[in-house]
Amino acid sequence: MKQFVLARCFASATLIAILLSSINLRAADDDSWQLLQKAAVAARVLSYKGIFVCQTSKQVKSVEITHMYDGKNEFARNVVLDGSPREVLNQSGNLVIYNPQNEKIIIEKRRGQNMFPAVLPANLDAIKISYTLRQAETERVAGRSAQVLVLVPKDALRYSYRFWIDAEYGLLLKSVMFNSHDEVIESISFNQISLMNTVALDWFKPKIDHSKSYVMENEQALVPGADKSADWEVKSLPAGYRKVDQMMRKVQGKNEPVTHVVFSDGLASVSLFIEHVNRQSKIKVPQKNMLSSSGNTNFYTHVSQGHLITVVGDVPEATVVQIANAVVFKKIN
Amino acid sequence: MSEQISALMDDEIAVEDAGRLIASLHGSKQANDAWSEYHLIGDAMRGNVMLSKEFKQNLMQKIEMEPTVLAPKAAQYNSQRLAELKDKLPVKWSIAASFAAVMVVGWMALQQQVQPESATQAIEIAQVDAAEQAIPNEYLSAHQASAPSTSSYYIQSVNYAE
Repeated sequence: MKQFVLARCFASATLIAILLSSINLRAADDDSWQLLQKAAVAARVLSYKGIFVCQTSKQVKSVEITHMYDGKNEFARNVVLDGSPREVLNQSGNLVIYNPQNEKIIIEKRRGQNMFPAVLPANLDAIKISYTLRQAETERVAGRSAQVLVLVPKDALRYSYRFWIDAEYGLLLKSVMFNSHDEVIESISFNQISLMNTVALDWFKPKIDHSKSYVMENEQALVPGADKSADWEVKSLPAGYRKVDQMMRKVQGKNEPVTHVVFSDGLASVSLFIEHVNRQSKIKVPQKNMLSSSGNTNFYTHVSQGHLITVVGDVPEATVVQIANAVVFKKIN
Repeated sequence: MSEQISALMDDEIAVEDAGRLIASLHGSKQANDAWSEYHLIGDAMRGNVMLSKEFKQNLMQKIEMEPTVLAPKAAQYNSQRLAELKDKLPVKWSIAASFAAVMVVGWMALQQQVQPESATQAIEIAQVDAAEQAIPNEYLSAHQASAPSTSSYYIQSVNYAE
């Protein structure tokens, strides 16, 4: 109990510290950015348990979440309740995913910082550059009163969002993503939510299915950093996007490692893949530029100067095309 | 009183009363003697090896006679070393520790697995539409591994062909 009180004190201290710093930095900021900042922090420093529904154009899944903050670390267990019983255990951004595949359960390790309701980064500066925020009405979600915030992009290079934020605790209760035609492309919303009064961690373990065998996924062959011999560079990125990660990656079905660069505007992420194509490599090269989309994900690929350039991202078509075209090849003397 | 002590030894007393009784055992010499005596009786009845009456006294004497280990400096040095080490521990350690904890969970799962007894078929209705097929899985899964979208943790866009 004492520990819990301490954790709560620490949580509120962190909350206040971050709120204060944001107030100091941007004195002119209006209330809505502060509320969004509060939501970004509350999702990480509060302890809660609930069920939310995640909906895309493809599927609907209910997920049970248990999230705890002990003053230092975050612990969360997400169990998908519909269909195959996928579980995601999250300890301060280190994820272990139990992914049932036929007769096996594949254990995957990932890094992840944007799991619902912690979809917002703790630092909103990047988002402030590309989006405007306004307060809308008050609505009721999961039996709680929520303030609606509307995040509108300043250009057509990203989607817009609506956030429902708990009037009392500042926790994000619902998040909806819209495309440029104001159609819903992703919706995540709590059905029920309650705060937890515990620091016990007995729940932080997966439910073991003894009839299945557990295997670690094939280690992803990754080499962080840039390819030194790269004869290309990325120029004039779409506004607001910046490089957040770069690596050499082994892609399924390819013999040679592929350059993988990740760009983000603070909310949306885009991947750029660059690989050599020559007569020896058995890469299936598209006949012409290919653009396709699935829900909120867009894909664009084309060949330029002996390279296959592929862009995939949860962003509008215009953005994937612009990023692909931002790749320029250095002149070879 | 003696009845109560006897009941306490046989675990036949209410928890609330037990607390009060144990407190009085510490206070009263008579009660304390009764406690020792009843245990002696019990041990004798069960045929346990009995310790001599002077056992406690003898033991304390022997401890007295043991040479005193005079190495407080070493102990001090060790604690100093530990404190220094703690200061030197890089922040990385805490990250490594959290990762280790997550790994333990994974390891537990691996340990607890047993051979599948019956092949239970988990049937999931795949919802595949034409557009979905158009994005090559290898790129989509690579993208989601490094830059997962919020829904991709729960809804998998990648069709596994295993």
